[in-house]
Formats: sequence, structure tokens, C-alpha cells
Amino acid sequence: MQATSRYNYYEVLELTANAPQHEVTTAYERARATYSGDNPAIYTIFSEQEARELLVVIEEAYQVLGNKILRTIYDQRLLSGRSSLNDLTYESILEASKQVFPEAKTEKTVPAYQKDDAFEKEVAARTEWDGEFLKKVREYKQITVSKMSEITKINSYYVTAVENMDAGNLPAIVFVRGYVVQIAKALGLDEKKVADSYMKSFKNNLGK
Amino acid sequence: MDQAVLDFKTSRENKEQDTKLWVVASGKGGVGKTFVSTSLGITLSKLGHSVAIVDLDLSGSNVHTVLGLSPSHMNIRHYFEGAKTLQELVIPTPFPHLSYVQGFWDSWTPTDFSYTQIQNLIPELKKLRADYVIVDMGAGALEAHLELFKAADEKFLITTPEPTSIEKTYRFIESFVCHSLKANATPDAYGSMISTLRNHRQRTLAKPFSFRSYLKDASGIHCDFFEALSSTPVRLIVNSSRNQANEELGFSMKSVCNKYYDLGIDYAGSIDYDNAVWQSVRVREHVLVAQPFTPLAGQFLATCKQLIAPEELRAVV
Repeated sequence: MQATSRYNYYEVLELTANAPQHEVTTAYERARATYSGDNPAIYTIFSEQEARELLVVIEEAYQVLGNKILRTIYDQRLLSGRSSLNDLTYESILEASKQVFPEAKTEKTVPAYQKDDAFEKEVAARTEWDGEFLKKVREYKQITVSKMSEITKINSYYVTAVENMDAGNLPAIVFVRGYVVQIAKALGLDEKKVADSYMKSFKNNLGK
Repeated sequence: MDQAVLDFKTSRENKEQDTKLWVVASGKGGVGKTFVSTSLGITLSKLGHSVAIVDLDLSGSNVHTVLGLSPSHMNIRHYFEGAKTLQELVIPTPFPHLSYVQGFWDSWTPTDFSYTQIQNLIPELKKLRADYVIVDMGAGALEAHLELFKAADEKFLITTPEPTSIEKTYRFIESFVCHSLKANATPDAYGSMISTLRNHRQRTLAKPFSFRSYLKDASGIHCDFFEALSSTPVRLIVNSSRNQANEELGFSMKSVCNKYYDLGIDYAGSIDYDNAVWQSVRVREHVLVAQPFTPLAGQFLATCKQLIAPEELRAVV
């Protein structure tokens, strides 16, 4: 199959255009079983690479045809001749479906905070990072512990423990580093610099 | 001659015209061609149709063994030597409506069909006095096999779920496609197609390559053959299926043929592995005769009924 030209999704799944929904699912499951893993049926015909490429097309076809709304949009555009096959990518169909069913907007903005140039400079110049200073930056940016937990998906209990550098209440070291990276990101800091420095002092504390 | 006799004669001639030629082939030997052809024969005869099984396996005949009969000296050698007509060689069996033509059995010299021999044989097969003539071929894609396969009304290709058998099945399909295209292509176009295919097999072509897109672009090759084949597709049978995955294999092979060769084949069904089969061959009584009410017999019955009077199979929703 040539990667340059696009195929009709029905052709990909070897279906007729009026196939009921359950046949779409069956066809997809069969196609997936055929072109993934070491199915003997593709032996000596398709190389592993070719099978993987086919699988990508098959997945894309099912994402559209397996979804009633997307399939209807695809059918309408294909049959009305408004779009050629080349324009009918998964992305364009998804875009069209969003126009039909607009997604509810969620508030994700971080609360505003009072800018303090002197403190900004101190943050930028800081090389030694520890829990106490992370807490200071968080409080300066007006982010509560629970808000931080919501952004980073880290339990607020661990957020507090990271700020207190309380090893007893934290999981293994590798996880701690992950938490620090997440928190630094949420605070708009250079996560690598912060995490490296934080972990150094965290390990020093452990040694004591 | 009065009108009644004339009517009888014409109806008789029409009936002869209606003889259906079913050919059973495979890429690999030992996958159950003879078992499938005899089982199809027995099932069709049970449904009340007259059936003649013709054993054309050059490497040695087996049909009589599977049917539990003794080999007859009146075999197909006499036809090829010109001593008898094919109809004269038809031997009745103990089973109602079922007869067969004994294959090579007493020939000590290597035998082979020539292209002309097979061309002459095809109309002879069609003239046999039976509703269905089932030809059990030898394994492999010889030119004579392919020619006969092309002429058949129903083409059966038998495979087992083993990779060796699947590989040879694809080789058979490739040979069949190329053989059929050869008749419709200019020699130049045919030559370049063969060299392209060879390059692809050796992986020197820019990937990805698809036989399908190549054929669509190539000039000098008429692809009408593909359309013609969709009306009488190759019917794949997966024999000795041991589990659900083996059964699904038929659908996978169908999909591969569709994507790679752009050849629509039909998956006629799978036949479960059954120890009763080899045991019945050993005691020389066909399994469908010895055990007529098993799931195995049911699978053949369903397949035959579907082929005689196709119904669209659809889940009720």
C-alpha cells in the first residue's frame, strides 16, 4: 500500500458503505489480528514494516467508522463530493465533529498574582533549591496546595511533604524527583535545574 | 421422432450442459485435498445430486483409498492413451449417486499433462453425465493444474493453518494470477511484470510495493480478469483447524489477498481437526459414511448448501 495516496476507510476495512455498525467492529478486529503480532497469514507477503504501516491506516479507519458521529460526517462528505478523499483526514473529520458538537470550555487559568520584580530576580538567580524555597515561590504565585495538587495530579499530602523535605512521608527517591519536576513545571521554573539541586539537598538530608 | 422423445433429448442435452466442474487444489501436499473432494462428493450425493469424482493426482491416486474401495485397472491412463473415453472410465461406488474415475495407479513411467492434453480434457470433464464433476488435483502450481483451475466453475484451494502450507498457498495464488494474466498481456508487459515481482521478492524495490497498485499502473495488462474472478472467486478452505485463531486465519488470508493482489477470494469455511478422519481412512470407511451426524458432516453440508444455493448470511440485528 502506498503511503502517499489515501484510501477509502471502507476499502481499508474491506466493508461495503452500508455495513451495519457491528460488522465494522468485526472487520476491525479481524484486520487488527491479521496485521499485528506474528499472524502466519502475512508471512512472505508483507514485511513487518509494511504490516505496521497497514495497521496505522486500519486504526485510523476504525477511529472514524467505529464512531457513529464521525462515520456520519465521513459518509456525508464522501458521498456529497464536497471533499476529495485526500482532504478527509482523521483530523479534519474530528474538527468537523467539534463544530457540530462544541466542547464545553473548562476554566484552566491559573489565578493571577501580584508581580514582585525583586522576588522574580531572586528566583531567576537562585541555584540552590530546597522545599522551603519551592513553597515560597508557590505562595508568591498564589497557588494553594490543593490547586497545585489539581494541576500536577500529585496528592496534596505529598506536595506538602516535598515542601517540608519530609523523606519519611515520601515514596522512593525516583518518585520524589518526578514530583519535583511536576511542581517546578507548574511553577514555570526550569525543572531540570530545580530537580537536580533539590535532589542533591534531599539526599544530603537523608544522609544525616 | 415424436415430440416427447425430442423433448427428452433436449432436456437431457441441457442437463449435460449444466454439469458443474469443481476443482480442488492446494499449494502444499498432504493438506487434505482428497479428503475434501471426497467429502464434498459424498455430501452433494446425499443432497440428491449425481456426482463424479475424477482423480487427477499425478503423483499417485488416493481417492479410491479414501472412499474405501479397491483400485481399478480401468483408470485414467486409458483415457490419456486414447483407448477409452472419459465417460467409459466412470466407476460406480456403493454410495448412491456417487461415481468416480480411478487415477494413475498402474503406470511405472513418469506421467505429466501437456497443455494440449489438459485443453482436450476440460470439455470431456464437462461432458460427463453427472450434475457435479469434482476433480482432485495433485499439489503444486503446474501449468496444467492452473489451466484446469481457471476453467473450473468452483475453485477450491485447501490450506492448513501451518506456515508452510500458507506460504505455498500464496505461491499458488501468485502463479494462478500470473498464469491468468499471461493470456491477457502483451509478452513485454508480462516479462516486465515478472521481473518486477522478482525484484520485490528479493527486496530491491523501493518500498512499499503493492502488486495491486502495480497492476493498475502497468500498461499492456488487462485486469478484466480480476473482475471476472469476482463472479467465480477462489474459495479458500482451512483444513485441520484446531482453534478459533485457526478459523480466523481464513479471514486474514482473504484480507491479505485483497490488499496485496487486489484479488477477491472467498473464505468457504474451516474444517475442524478430527481424529476420526485419519482413523476412518485406516479402516477404509469414509468418515462421512461411518459417522454421518457429526459436526464435521454438518460443516460440509453447510458449505455445499451455501455453494449450490447461495444465501446472504447476515446476523439479525
